[in-house]
Amino acid sequence: MLRTKALRHTLFILLPVIAVAGLLPLAYSNQLLLFNFVVFLTLAQGVNILYGFTGYLPFGYVGFFGVGAYGFSLAVMHLHLPPLAALGAAALAAVLLGLVLTPLLRLSGAYFAIANLAASQAMFQVVSNPNLTDITKGPYGISLAGVFAPNLSYGVAVAILALTLGTVIYLRNSRFGLALLAVREDSVTAAMAGIDVVRTRTLAWQLSALVAGLIGGVFAWYVSVFYPETVFSPEFSIFAIVFALFGGVATITGPILGVVVLYGIYNAIGISTPQYFQLIYGALIMGLVLFLPNGVVSLFRRWGIDVP
Amino acid sequence: MLAYAILAGLIFGLYFSLVGLGLNLVFGVMRIVNLAHGDVLMLGAFAAFWLFKLFGLHPVLSIFAVFAVFVAVGWPLYYLVVPRLLRAKDPEMLSIIFFFGLSQVIVALASIAFGSSERSIPGRVLGSGPYQILGQSFPAAWVVTGGVSALAVAFVYLYLYRTRLGYVTRAVMVHREEALATGIDVHRVSAIAFGIGLALSGIAGVFAPFMLGSVTPAMGVDINITSFAVIVVGSLGNPLGTVLGGIAYGISLMFMQTYFSSWANLLPYLLLITILLVRPSGLLGRKVRSA
Amino acid sequence: MVRAKALAVFAVIFFAVSAAHAADAPAEIKIGTLYASSGNYAGVSMAQYQGLRIWLDQKNAEGGVMVKPFNKKIPLKLVSYDDQSNTATAATLYNQLITQDKVDILLADFGSVLTSVAVPIARDHQMLLIDQTGSGAAFFTKDNPYIVLTSLPMSSVWPKHMTDFLVKEGPKLGIKRVALLYATNDFHGTQAAAVRDAIKASNGAVELVYDNGVPTNTSSYTVTINNIQATNPDAVLELGYVNNDIAFLRNLQDGGIKFKWLFTIYPGLETEVVEKNVGPKGMEQVFTYVPSSVMEYKPEFGMSLSQFRTTWNSKYPDGKVEFGFNSVAGYTTGLVLEKALATTDSMAQLALRKAILGQSGKLKTIDGTFEILAETGAQVGEVQPLGQISLDEHGEVKFVTVYPPELATGKPVYPAK
Repeated sequence: MLRTKALRHTLFILLPVIAVAGLLPLAYSNQLLLFNFVVFLTLAQGVNILYGFTGYLPFGYVGFFGVGAYGFSLAVMHLHLPPLAALGAAALAAVLLGLVLTPLLRLSGAYFAIANLAASQAMFQVVSNPNLTDITKGPYGISLAGVFAPNLSYGVAVAILALTLGTVIYLRNSRFGLALLAVREDSVTAAMAGIDVVRTRTLAWQLSALVAGLIGGVFAWYVSVFYPETVFSPEFSIFAIVFALFGGVATITGPILGVVVLYGIYNAIGISTPQYFQLIYGALIMGLVLFLPNGVVSLFRRWGIDVP
Repeated sequence: MLAYAILAGLIFGLYFSLVGLGLNLVFGVMRIVNLAHGDVLMLGAFAAFWLFKLFGLHPVLSIFAVFAVFVAVGWPLYYLVVPRLLRAKDPEMLSIIFFFGLSQVIVALASIAFGSSERSIPGRVLGSGPYQILGQSFPAAWVVTGGVSALAVAFVYLYLYRTRLGYVTRAVMVHREEALATGIDVHRVSAIAFGIGLALSGIAGVFAPFMLGSVTPAMGVDINITSFAVIVVGSLGNPLGTVLGGIAYGISLMFMQTYFSSWANLLPYLLLITILLVRPSGLLGRKVRSA
Repeated sequence: MVRAKALAVFAVIFFAVSAAHAADAPAEIKIGTLYASSGNYAGVSMAQYQGLRIWLDQKNAEGGVMVKPFNKKIPLKLVSYDDQSNTATAATLYNQLITQDKVDILLADFGSVLTSVAVPIARDHQMLLIDQTGSGAAFFTKDNPYIVLTSLPMSSVWPKHMTDFLVKEGPKLGIKRVALLYATNDFHGTQAAAVRDAIKASNGAVELVYDNGVPTNTSSYTVTINNIQATNPDAVLELGYVNNDIAFLRNLQDGGIKFKWLFTIYPGLETEVVEKNVGPKGMEQVFTYVPSSVMEYKPEFGMSLSQFRTTWNSKYPDGKVEFGFNSVAGYTTGLVLEKALATTDSMAQLALRKAILGQSGKLKTIDGTFEILAETGAQVGEVQPLGQISLDEHGEVKFVTVYPPELATGKPVYPAK
């Protein structure tokens, strides 16, 4: 039952999304816009893995993203690794940060969110500190002109998106995912039912860190010239969270819908009426929260349509 | 140098207690994360700026105007927004998003209305020449701001602990459902707390031009993160805790500026994380809120 | 022989006609740029954008700019988006300008951070990035011809006159102990490094007694000022953005402290906004760069400072964006473009670059002498002299240029009283 569902989700959600993401650059030439869509699709799903399945809101999610970007860049600059291998360093950096921050999972609710935010800011302060210029280039920023390869890095970003979607489909259709949801609803009961609460949570936490680190690494590769404030911008966290929640978390399609609709609108307004851009966007978000608080997918559910 | 850093940190920390106070009240009473807190503060700052520029109103007097207007706006805003948010599955998280939207709207409107350049009020308005405290000299603006901040904290303390309204407000803080069951008009109590919370942020804004160099429509973001640090280090829902959090923040900031200046912004974050891990309920918290 | 001559004449006529035919003049020249109406860079970015607009509207009122390949005036069309100071958004929008709007000319937004993401994009699409004020040294490499810096020198060149003064004139005045405080970002970190190098090269004539960075969003300097004072410096340099300088100067003033010799950047660069926030008294005797928004150069091309100033005031009477150096910077970009279009061989991007390089050392505008390194596209002209602010009899701010000697209009006051 779970397995056939997983197959269905792979066929009808993962494959079409990846196909569209992979093929659109052939038809539409602003590849960077598409790239940012892929980045936010991945980040929103990463938020989904953590928040949707464990209830922890990673308000400083950008910390993993930024650390991934720097892990990648340092591996290219100092170890002269080829980009694909350097992505391994990006993943490693994010997972290591995840390990260091694992104790934060002892906190709940807003406490976790705020502590996570503080952790991401702390990472930014460390990376951009001029005392570390020899290692991180401090505030002077990264230039990776030597490995710049927009088409290849775009392809890799799509692959990471596929991996992330696959993970979410797995969570949605596996005992492990069910265990996570059980822990989210009531950790005491779940523990009594024989679920290792700490282990399952930590795993989801690391998965979500890994995803962000990888996509952060590709972001560094694609953008190739950037400052620390670029890859540690809190807007990455906030956008990813807003997109995921707008669509609806603990689903596969919710975050996808959120990114396509909201980031789509963001760009459409940004290009058509930039002067009122922030105003319209803010008002839109407020309206959505007030009138559609459980995400767009809840609307479909209300109409009796099951949304995966 | 150390003595100066500690004294300066104390005064600066008192101001940051005021900055965190409104946020703390709103979170404590409603479990609502007001991500537009820094922007409300910014509005208070611009209110003081314009009142001074157009009418020559002294910032200390504009506190009253700001208080009245912000309570008057906050009260109905509560009924418009919060009950709806609280009905959702996860109001705490949803509020983060809602107030992010509100914050965008406020910043956009402020940029359109005021432009994006730096504004401030001359420091001499709050008194001329530096004051001597314990042999160290501090700007008059700092001393006045510190004093007003202390008064504001005392005001909140009296409101919470010495009035009937404050008593029920604390009941709502401890347990919203139980308060409802005992017949307390939870919404009315919360609406007042919400209004006062916003007004406190506004009042903190009145002094921002003196304590934070200058004000711009974009200043809110930095304020938010610091405010969260301050209220968490103290403890949520406790105004005295916020004072402690503010002072801990102020002193650690000044200490870092003195000895490891380029790392100055790191310590508050580390402080926040450490306190959360060691004592999640904050320095003065009673209830441990770990999962 | 005659036949050969006739053939040559024929050939010339043929090519001229066919060239004119091949290059049908477009109805407009599309210029793409970004600005930030909100966020960290809003104030300065808008100043730059509005400066550019002055040039653009003026040219369009005259029927466009002369474009040499078509030998006629062509109107300009501005395509601009708001990046809200967000680099990820800026990256998308730069790409939008190149791939969707297919602009003929690409201009960067204000400053290094918002320019950085455009550098690889422009290079990838082989578009020349006209970098207005992004002075980060990392942008300018010999292997990338698709960038030129138009309106200010790269960061490491900025403090040239100031450090020369400190090292050469300083000891004569009695300056030995120097305190250096800077905001930890690319722009100010690079300048701090240049200052450090110059002091090291002085062989002990001057020495650093305080050398610390503070985070760029620092808004309170009271304790730092106290610490600097404790080192008993003869000269203090505070390098920061406008918000840093305002906070620093206000904290000094509120604390009743006056350093003997104080240098900060923005009293010169954004005089109006600093004056509004700090007041003339707080700027008195402060040393600063004397930028082209203050210094009357004798422009050989474009408006003079006073003309530009008048135009600015009548075009933007609401005062929401203060006049300052970045206003001049935006306008200068326009002038450089105008010259380039008037001299370029074709509208190809590298031809435009060549035309811009061709102006190096020749073009004298409101912003000083335009001078560019051919290998990297980095600006080394338009260097700002060192000046000191004094108050005239009405208490108004005025600038006395003190160094280099050939530009000096007065003597420095030391120590400040």
